[in-house]
Amino acid sequence: MATERVKKEEKYPVARRYQVADVQVSREAQAVKPEVIVRLVKKAKHPVLITGGQLLKDEKLVEYAVKFHEKGIPIIATGGSSKPLIEKGVKPQSAVFTLHQITQYMLDPDWKGFDDKGAYDVVLYLGFLPYYLSRMLSALKHFSKITTISLDEFYHPHARFSFTNLTANKEMHYRMLEEVINGL
Amino acid sequence: MAFELREGVFVLDDVRNVSIRIGKVIEEEEEWEEAGPTPMPGIMELRKWDHKLLERYEPFYAPVQDFCNLCTMGPCDLSANKRGACGIDLKTAKARLVTIACCIGAAAHTAHARHLLDHLIEEFGEDTPIDLGPDVNVEAPNIRTIVGVKPKTLGDLRVALEWAEREIVKVLHATHIGNEESLVDYESKAMHVSMCDHVGMEVADIAQIVAYNLPKAEPDTPLVDTGFGVVDRSKPVIVVVGHNVMYARPIADYLEEHGLIDQFEIAGLCCTSHDMTRYNAKAKIFGPISYQLRVIRAGLPDIIVSDEQCIRADLLEACKAMGIPLIATSDAAVRGLPDVNEWDVDKIADALATGKLAGVFLTDPVKIGEVAVRVARAVFEKKKKGELFFESEEEFKNEIAKCTQCMNCVFTCPHNLRIDQGMAHAQKTGDVSKLAKLEEQCIACMKCEQVCPKNIRIINVIMRSNLNNLYAKTGKTRVGRGPVQDTEIRKVGQPIVFGQIPGVIAAVGCVNFPDEMGDLRIILEEFLKRRYIVVTSGCHAMDLGMIKDEEGQTLYEKYPGNFDAGGLVNMGSCVANSHIAGACIKIANIFAMRPLRGNYAEIADYILNRVGAVGFSWGPYSHKAASIATGFNRLGVPVVVGPHGMKYRRAYIGKPWNPEKWWVYDIKTRQKMNIEPAPDALLLAVETKEEAIVQLARLCLRPNDTSMGRQIKLTHYLELSQKYMGTLPDDWPIYVRSEADLPLKMKEELLHILESEHGWKIDWSKKKILEGPIRPYDAGFNPTLVEEVYEKYTKGK
Ligand code: SF4
Ligand code: SF4
Ligand code: SF4
Repeated sequence: MATERVKKEEKYPVARRYQVADVQVSREAQAVKPEVIVRLVKKAKHPVLITGGQLLKDEKLVEYAVKFHEKGIPIIATGGSSKPLIEKGVKPQSAVFTLHQITQYMLDPDWKGFDDKGAYDVVLYLGFLPYYLSRMLSALKHFSKITTISLDEFYHPHARFSFTNLTANKEMHYRMLEEVINGL
Repeated sequence: MAFELREGVFVLDDVRNVSIRIGKVIEEEEEWEEAGPTPMPGIMELRKWDHKLLERYEPFYAPVQDFCNLCTMGPCDLSANKRGACGIDLKTAKARLVTIACCIGAAAHTAHARHLLDHLIEEFGEDTPIDLGPDVNVEAPNIRTIVGVKPKTLGDLRVALEWAEREIVKVLHATHIGNEESLVDYESKAMHVSMCDHVGMEVADIAQIVAYNLPKAEPDTPLVDTGFGVVDRSKPVIVVVGHNVMYARPIADYLEEHGLIDQFEIAGLCCTSHDMTRYNAKAKIFGPISYQLRVIRAGLPDIIVSDEQCIRADLLEACKAMGIPLIATSDAAVRGLPDVNEWDVDKIADALATGKLAGVFLTDPVKIGEVAVRVARAVFEKKKKGELFFESEEEFKNEIAKCTQCMNCVFTCPHNLRIDQGMAHAQKTGDVSKLAKLEEQCIACMKCEQVCPKNIRIINVIMRSNLNNLYAKTGKTRVGRGPVQDTEIRKVGQPIVFGQIPGVIAAVGCVNFPDEMGDLRIILEEFLKRRYIVVTSGCHAMDLGMIKDEEGQTLYEKYPGNFDAGGLVNMGSCVANSHIAGACIKIANIFAMRPLRGNYAEIADYILNRVGAVGFSWGPYSHKAASIATGFNRLGVPVVVGPHGMKYRRAYIGKPWNPEKWWVYDIKTRQKMNIEPAPDALLLAVETKEEAIVQLARLCLRPNDTSMGRQIKLTHYLELSQKYMGTLPDDWPIYVRSEADLPLKMKEELLHILESEHGWKIDWSKKKILEGPIRPYDAGFNPTLVEEVYEKYTKGK
């Protein structure tokens, strides 16, 4: 896996944490290229994309979420992100529960998911306030076996896999999302 | 011979070398109510109740760090729930950390109460009666319920305070290494100490209302100026900051006594400002903690008087940099300053006014009043009255020009604000509007400035960029009123319990908002328009005083101050939060005639099942906010927090998909029965204002709602979900007990959904639900989770 991490020579920005002080991490997320994420999702038994409230501020993120959905990835919408998604024809598995509640449910191996098909094994995240998502990733890292993948512009140290830090280069972030979707 | 017992030392004339010391004389207590099972509870007495709650609302942990370094056997890697050298695992370590946070919060309010009470008893006497006005007979609902006493005088409050202090120490002890091993028992202790917090707050606020004659449950308190632009800069400005008005009050007294009140400005930051305006409505409110550096860096104060809690730990440095003298007054925050209590007033005033001393520690109230006024005048007279934040436009532009867009600031800012982009845009175009926009979100924490390689005064740049708007945000706050009247409770008790008043939203706490402050107004106005009762206190209450609509009005100017449907009630400072818990307790007592005395579990159970009150803290950060919220949770009141609240690490979230968790005993049918998961969480963090609105409406549902009440609550929940989530909520059918619960306007449509998507059986000729709900609606339903309460109301009946 190490060879598939983003490398400096490939002109990816460094994996700079969304918050310099969020350093007390025993195991850091691997900053990975889109192709790695594609493979992880393809191998997954029960993947899901969770969208967050930042979709209300960035229409591009809504477009990408819609494309994920078109590729057959189910969506759990949080933070009000269901509204623009539903307007574009997506039917999320859930719209009213918060990421906080959903994470609590995911931590319980008895939960069958919103679709009753059993535990989600690979969870993708798109469009969250970084500090809010970070804590949820931390809970899942410590107390579950779920593979978490952050697709946000910030590098998330507590995820299992994360995009590198793309805050300074939004276009690259969009390109990488595009690449993941195209690969699915 | 009649012999009257009094406190003191007595020498018997004929018996040499013998004296008798009589300590506190315990008078026989008035039999005001039948004594309940848990007066003055220790850690164990309410543990069973906590375990009931925690079984349903399972603790959730989101660690901020994977390690522990609390003792020298560490540091320990606790990741993936490993155990440390002492044997504690990660979840339990986090439960301990939250318990410590709640101890700090409870200790803050309780020590505040101790300071106040000792001082007030000395000044006004222990026999000062507790009189909270003609409409308040249940004067201390928390103390009555928890401690089991009915205080009549200031002196009587000591019993409650001593109990709280004792329990806080016991819980703090339990956080020592090598004590508790169960996370649930740590959570029970966090709840216990947080319940003490509510007693501490109640003691503090009752004492100050009584002694300082603050408003006594009056709905029509005055409106006072609030915001950055409150002061007239042609007068000397005295700024008080903190949470204990005891030290700042003498300043207002001195100004009044000397006929100077109109020649000076006295304005406050944080809760001391609430209590100053409760004491004297000529005082003004600058704003919350995030306004401290705004006000200081602008050079508005001519003197600052600090007391305790939520004051920047670099206050002295910040004041020094601006040449503002500082008087620290609380031993909780002495700030390294010399103690000048023994000095005479001339000497202190001279040292401060000439700059010989940057600050002093002074607690003598009489001296504080005079020194503050004299020094403010002297400083004001010498002060250059120039532009704010930068001396000139040129200096401001030069500062912006230094930025290299390295983004160090962005990755240290708690909101990742794009300072780099604002600077770049201003450099290219001269337009500072992008920087100005950041002002709305900036909490003026100063973290960015410390990592800027160019030493840019980023806060000053942001504030200066938005200076006109910052001034213009000035509005009006309705002065904190203290408790809710018994008469108001009599009027709203039934509609709240039955559900016709759809809920009580209690917006309390700090300013670590995820976005612009204005969102707070949007959220709360949604509920005011829908005729919920909205109560508020602390920083949320003052923020509402500076958010205006297009007509220039704050919510206080649009909505009345009474505790009734559509009312916006400012209770006061942090310690006035006890009146919100108090109002919930009073509903159980005054409307439902449940006895309070030492009867906590029954009252909390009543509130959990019947009172649709939800706490809301949009920007919590303090330890006090942690204990206030946890105290509400034990009382059966759910709390929604903004996204930064996630960093408290712990939440209480139930699993609505697990039917085993949702049951009660029904006293009427004498059965244990399954119920709908209402409410399904006790502590929950949301990400956006849209989510906050929907969750608040959702968490107002209670098992005891009547059909009419459920119909009203569901109407709001469904409408708000459609408005903000773009769809009906996923879980609405779970709350339907019969067709009468369905929102009238949507009834037919919803029946169709229940039939087609959920397989419910409908009799269409009568539009009746035949099969589907978890339980049928029963008008006599009388739920409880507590076995003892069940027995009490069923035995022999
Ligand atoms: S308290 Fe326990 S877990 Fe923490 S450092 Fe000490 S031994 Fe390790
Ligand atoms: S002072 Fe404002 S801009 Fe700077 S780090 Fe703090 S919140 Fe961010
Ligand atoms: S840290 Fe300073 S130089 Fe770097 S982007 Fe921020 S303001 Fe500019």
